[in-house]
Amino acid sequence: MEARFAREGDYLTVYISPTNSALVFWVKSVANRGYSAIDYGPLPISAGTALPTLDGGSATVPEDGVLPARAYTATGIQFPSPVPNVYTSSDMWYLSEDMRDRLFHVFQRVTPAWLRVDVQVPTGVTQARFQAGRATLGVDRAFGFSRGGIEVVHIPKLSYGYRYANETNLDVRTFVRFEYAEYVVEVPRNPRLVFEILTRRVPSLWVSLPVSVMDSAVERALDDVYGFRGFRVYREDEAQKAIKEYEETLKRVKLGGGG
Amino acid sequence: MARELFTVYGSASPTASGQSGDFALTSPLVRGSFAYIRVPKGMRLKVWAKRLSGTAGFTLLVQYTPDVTASSPTWAVLDAEHLASAGSLELEKRRPAAVFGLTGNEAVKLSYANTTGAGTIYAAAEVEVTDEE
Repeated sequence: MEARFAREGDYLTVYISPTNSALVFWVKSVANRGYSAIDYGPLPISAGTALPTLDGGSATVPEDGVLPARAYTATGIQFPSPVPNVYTSSDMWYLSEDMRDRLFHVFQRVTPAWLRVDVQVPTGVTQARFQAGRATLGVDRAFGFSRGGIEVVHIPKLSYGYRYANETNLDVRTFVRFEYAEYVVEVPRNPRLVFEILTRRVPSLWVSLPVSVMDSAVERALDDVYGFRGFRVYREDEAQKAIKEYEETLKRVKLGGGG
Repeated sequence: MARELFTVYGSASPTASGQSGDFALTSPLVRGSFAYIRVPKGMRLKVWAKRLSGTAGFTLLVQYTPDVTASSPTWAVLDAEHLASAGSLELEKRRPAAVFGLTGNEAVKLSYANTTGAGTIYAAAEVEVTDEE
């Protein structure tokens, strides 16, 4: 999983698969250019915490940051901020609604690399699904997870929960490294440009929002932060219809005026 | 691609010749000691290098089982290295001993055998768990 970020002046498309729509941004700047790595340290799991195991039992975390043999985190965890004065000290990636011009693009790498990883958006709502949502997947199931890391875009006003599972018989000491970009973004106001981006005629970095079901909290966050839930993605031969719809959508957009 | 390389280490003190047993292993990546490493399903465990030291006649065995969850797992030898005389031996493999996690129940352990007398023996291995070929 190689970290690949948008650069200043690039377009960034955040695709939302359940609604076949996308947020389109113009990256005005990258606020952390030159210092994208955070050696966070062990996973924030505390000694004494009881975790379920993949075998149906339970295991107690023996020491801070140690993921016991066969154990998994049933509910997603957040990363407390290692620095002061952040918006929410218990979740370093949480941004408030009024920080809508900021977007975190985060590559998380976990040691040991065999750990299963998934993300809940919002916390408590597992997003990995199978067969149109009939089956819920994730780190505690046979599939529906990645190993050793995950790429995520953090939408403001949403708290994401990360989950981990350790299939081995070892009580492993964990470590997390983030590589991230703090984008300063705005939404292009030209509906034709939005259409050109969404039909891939204009280059853009495409990233998927890690959702496969639209929770009401996600919808609320999109409404409150951006004023809309994304531009519907149309086929190339639907330009007229798309552009007309985008014109209406852009009237509700709360963010920026570039492009 | 997920890839983790780490060192495991064990020592034992046979008191007479002909003794055998399993190493209680330790690793900086692991809290406490462990007898074996269970291979995650779909991943491969590779033993890239081995280091042996101690008394003459010490044989290091890399053993695996297809099902460590069985009540009495059956272990088979995958690789063996023999320390012919007292001292140390370091072996790196361009092609490692590898065990594939077909079911997620496979496991690998390090054992010793054929010791020729009392003394302390040491073993270390560079182990990789990866989903790459």
